[in-house]
Amino acid sequence: MKAFVTDIQRFSLQDGPGIRTAVFLQGCNMHCPWCHNPETIPLRPVELYYKEKCLGCGKCAEGCTSGARVKSSKEMSVDEVMREIRQDKRYYDESGGGVTVSGGEPSLHPGFVMALADACHAEDISIAVETNMSRPWQIIEPMLKKMDLIMCDLKLNLTIPHKKQTGLDNPTIFNSIGRSSKLGIPMIVRPPLVPGVTDSVENLHMIAEYIAKMDNIVRYEVLNFNPLGGAKRDALGMGNAFADAKPFSEAQLAEFRAALADIAGLEIKVG
Amino acid sequence: MSHTMSKIQFINEFPAERRFTYDERIALLRARKIAQTEEKARAGGADEDDYGLIVQDVFHYKLKPNHPNGSIYGYAAWCENYCAILQQHPIYVDALDAFAAKGFFFLERLRPSDKKWNPDYAYPDLQAIFDTYQIISGIDNCHHFTPDLQIGFDLGWGGILKKLRSERARHDATHHAFYDAEIAVVENIIAFIRRAGEEIGRLAKEEQNAQLAENLRMMSEIDMRICSEPPKTFREAVQWSCWFSMLSRTYNRGSAGGQLEDLFNPFYERDVQAGILTDDEAVFYLACMFLQDSRYWQLSGLDEHDEDRTCHLSYLALDAADKLNIATNLTIRMHDKIDPVFFRKSVECLFRNKQGWPRYSSDKALMEGFMRCGYPKEIARRRVAAGCHWMCIPGMEYTMNDTVKVNIAMVFQVAWREMMANAEKVPPSAEVLWKLYEKHLKIAVDATGRGIIHHLTYQTKSQPELILNLLQHGLIEKGVNITDGGANYYNICVDAAGLAVAADSFAAVEQRIDREHRLSYAALDAHMNADYRDEDGERVRQLMYHGPRYGGGETLGDAWAVRISKLWTSLVRDLVAQHKDNPKHVNFIPGFFSWSNTILLGSRLAATPNGRRAGEPINHGANPNDGFRADGAVTAMCNSIAAIQPGYGNTAPVQLEVDPQIANDSEGVDKMCAMIRGIINSGNTLLNINIIDAKKIMEADKNPLKYPDLVVRVTGFTAFFAMLSPKFRKLVVDRIRAVNCEAVAGM
Repeated sequence: MKAFVTDIQRFSLQDGPGIRTAVFLQGCNMHCPWCHNPETIPLRPVELYYKEKCLGCGKCAEGCTSGARVKSSKEMSVDEVMREIRQDKRYYDESGGGVTVSGGEPSLHPGFVMALADACHAEDISIAVETNMSRPWQIIEPMLKKMDLIMCDLKLNLTIPHKKQTGLDNPTIFNSIGRSSKLGIPMIVRPPLVPGVTDSVENLHMIAEYIAKMDNIVRYEVLNFNPLGGAKRDALGMGNAFADAKPFSEAQLAEFRAALADIAGLEIKVG
Repeated sequence: MSHTMSKIQFINEFPAERRFTYDERIALLRARKIAQTEEKARAGGADEDDYGLIVQDVFHYKLKPNHPNGSIYGYAAWCENYCAILQQHPIYVDALDAFAAKGFFFLERLRPSDKKWNPDYAYPDLQAIFDTYQIISGIDNCHHFTPDLQIGFDLGWGGILKKLRSERARHDATHHAFYDAEIAVVENIIAFIRRAGEEIGRLAKEEQNAQLAENLRMMSEIDMRICSEPPKTFREAVQWSCWFSMLSRTYNRGSAGGQLEDLFNPFYERDVQAGILTDDEAVFYLACMFLQDSRYWQLSGLDEHDEDRTCHLSYLALDAADKLNIATNLTIRMHDKIDPVFFRKSVECLFRNKQGWPRYSSDKALMEGFMRCGYPKEIARRRVAAGCHWMCIPGMEYTMNDTVKVNIAMVFQVAWREMMANAEKVPPSAEVLWKLYEKHLKIAVDATGRGIIHHLTYQTKSQPELILNLLQHGLIEKGVNITDGGANYYNICVDAAGLAVAADSFAAVEQRIDREHRLSYAALDAHMNADYRDEDGERVRQLMYHGPRYGGGETLGDAWAVRISKLWTSLVRDLVAQHKDNPKHVNFIPGFFSWSNTILLGSRLAATPNGRRAGEPINHGANPNDGFRADGAVTAMCNSIAAIQPGYGNTAPVQLEVDPQIANDSEGVDKMCAMIRGIINSGNTLLNINIIDAKKIMEADKNPLKYPDLVVRVTGFTAFFAMLSPKFRKLVVDRIRAVNCEAVAGM
């Protein structure tokens, strides 16, 4: 079983509980213009060209040595990915961490993700998936069932803006989130704070109210805006509608925290 | 408060009626320290430990040489000059401080820097080999082992003097030069501390602030007593240790830390029980001690019954360092039974203060390693973190810790050049290169071993250890200098530097030439000879630079690093057999550490196959080269360093740079606790951590005096960033860039 892997980040502290290894897969069914990993969106590997690294040697055909031209992903087997993952088992055990499969959208590769989950569990390693929950339930259910934790990056509560920004409707997503609560698997819902898009208190509040009714939600985690996709967008020759956007300040994050504080029964983290 | 470089006595600075809390006094003393640091930085700074030295222009000593070359050698000359310094040395006094004992300079550095070794005992044949492989031999280096303060606490200076006199009477004339020098030194120490007591007593009468006058009066009283008698109270014991530190530093920079709880807890408990000491006072005294000198203290660990040493005083030591919030060299000895609350508190301190303390050592790895040298558990357990990367049994060992370094990247260069010179006869390959590397590394290590024996044989003729000798178990009874058989054990630290450069170079040629056939050895050699600045040079440099690196995680570079480590370890351990007939029964312990020699050891090194250009620094200690992995994963790096540990009780430290933001909440602290446990439990020996705001340090690099209180752990030691030279600042900055790719992008 193989998939195109854009990156394997070890010692990841932002992709779930504990110390984790995040495995990023190529391909996404959404097209969010703020995505900080835009190279993962196409379904097949693409080339990124970092002009400032180019030596102008004219030997591109021999393989770029400077890192100016890089492929977004390489095809890897489950065994190859596991070889990287198991190196940090000690740290997962010490911290309550594990592996997070992210993307792109992992549910585009359910077979690979399930095989990876089986391999992790065979070595007593916890595994989580970070998914947009947009794929049909019959596809994602078997995948989710193999997870120890589900992380869902639900972005917008309202349907029309959701479709406009991501390219997909969100009723399926809410439906799947609701159904997933019956699986008995812990879930973290993680909307990103995107300036002018998701950053209204109303949006965050409505999402929170919806998930507060579910009994498998362990945390509502509002993520600060990540501007680091800019260089990659340039390298991909894509426009960047968020070129001037900045992460929210600590004071602004505190305001969000205060605004969400009244949601009963929900552990909330902002920032 | 006023600060001038010439000022060394601070009285009558505050209104007579003002009262101070201990916290206020700590804050004021800290502010003075920062101001003095700024003065030191303006005076030129230094790429080393702070040592608590005071820069002043009140007292300068002119060396009285006993050799035509202008230097001093042997018992008499060192004794005479040291005693003369003590007779003239002004007394630094700060009425806010609990303790006197600030020093101004080291006698050993008053010698001409190129005349340290007695020329009657030259070693030209060895020197030729040292030059070839750029070996720092340790010959002529001093201290770098640890005295046992407990001896001083038990005997006091008067008791030490009495013992010296009585042992002199029992020994023949061949020992009299030793005893006469030591007796004169101790007599002068007693007189010096008594003079300090008298001077402080006089200043107490001048001080108009009643609270501070009373403090000075107590300081005076304590000095008048402990100039001869053993310390009886907690405050007296701490003052005794401060004096010893200053006296030892003034002689030859020797330090005097140890297991803090073992040394001070008996005094603490006794005083608390007697109702003469509160926790606030104890914290204040410990803070003043940390302020006085940056010497190394170990906290926690296991006791002789395998029980956790952590006690209430361990917490107070953290509190003291926390309140002081400057460079403090505290090492937490980690073990399975460590008090989790104490450990977590230490991690909170680390991230809150961002001053590079504490650091963490592994009881298990160090114990198991040292016991492989043949020592029983009870001896191994007494070995504590006592210096940059050192382990040492206080009062028992002569170690030459951190003074012996073989540049194994230079060994690689010698092997490479021989391979290319014979390329027509023997086609080059990574394996051919390895065979040559084995040959040259053995030549280098064997010469290093002979150099150590040469040092041990003749060091007394150059620089006897007149101060540290006094706190060694059984040495006064033997009547000889520590290098002449005065130590109980000779466990000599032999470190390799440049591991990552050598490993990455092997990996790069194997990958790019032997496996991928991307270029030939001759072509690479030509590019290296041109420092990769010739036609197509930069493309080839990038190709080699992006090879499979040490630190990447089970890469070819990691495999080469392990192979080199095994070779290094076996060659150093083989020295034990080579010198088994030496009457000192010298043990040689391998490690990996560069200290701050990364610039020096890179300066003579030509371009290397890993894409490093000529003259660039070698890697730091056992760390990988910068850019070892795209994600800079701490875990990958630490696994790689764990895999190359030689495993004989000395360290190959992990030097870690971490952004403070990752532990800015309780969950983050939990993750850092887990990270530290993971690093320590994976077989690593010592972990140094810098908590550095990447953006702040970039700004400080441009304008160091903008942040005069910014402290970084440079190698094993911490230093005020502003005190470092631009080259050393760059070293720290580059390491931080390597693991904070995102935070410093574009800076």
